[in-house]
Amino acid sequence: MQFAQICDQVDTAATRKIDHAGLIGTWVNSNPDTTGIARMVVEELEGKLTLRTLAIGPEGLIDWGTSELSVYGSSPSSDVAAGFACQYDFGFAETLLQGMLLKGLMVLAQIHSFKDQSDRVPFFVREYFALDHGRF
Amino acid sequence: MSQLLDFKQNSHLDPALTDPATRTLNADKLVGRWVNTNPDTKGVAEITIKQERDQFSVNVKGAGPDGLISWPTVQAKVLANLEEEAGQRAVAFAATFAFGFMTAETYLRVNKGVLVIVLFNTFHDDSGRSSYVTREFFYRP
Repeated sequence: MQFAQICDQVDTAATRKIDHAGLIGTWVNSNPDTTGIARMVVEELEGKLTLRTLAIGPEGLIDWGTSELSVYGSSPSSDVAAGFACQYDFGFAETLLQGMLLKGLMVLAQIHSFKDQSDRVPFFVREYFALDHGRF
Repeated sequence: MSQLLDFKQNSHLDPALTDPATRTLNADKLVGRWVNTNPDTKGVAEITIKQERDQFSVNVKGAGPDGLISWPTVQAKVLANLEEEAGQRAVAFAATFAFGFMTAETYLRVNKGVLVIVLFNTFHDDSGRSSYVTREFFYRP
């Protein structure tokens, strides 16, 4: 088994399937004054886990549409989701979203790269999202 | 000017994104050798970030059973970091390490003098290992 660090070395009997139930739902930005993503909806559609993103625009929310998620565990032997990644291609820009669960909080890193002639630099933003659980 | 720009969220119109000073802002806060705060880590042991003009390279050493494992040195993608307060702002980096059997995608940033990395590891072999994500912290020795 090849590895790049000790934690890559695990016993594996069969291909693992990560339980992504903990990712499903509506994730709301903790910052009401965000200029980025307002909320994210994770759902399973036709056997695929997808993310729908709604971002803050000058005249209200902008629907980015859906993107298929890649799911990550917390270790190579993990079978419970601890994060996700997906990509949006808007034509003028690409955005990579990488989410990591920390104590129920989704820490979302966003890497925005522009492909147009606007000379805007690529940028990084990290925001926090809570799962709208509706219990309280 | 902003009305001429395409956008998908308000931050795409942030004036800082077209400010030349944003490209390498406070990069010195990241350049140098960093050591994992956890001496028992089973992941990344140390990181060295070098700057040559406006280019940055990242070298990682993973903890191995018989000593450190040197990963291939890669060029970092420099990212303006808009999340910190203006006085705390420094660039962040994204870097991708391709091992063949695995790809490790990471972003690196500094928060109050600590280098924070988040690694998204994806296996491409038939080992049955799960893709996984880790976060680790580094200090300047």
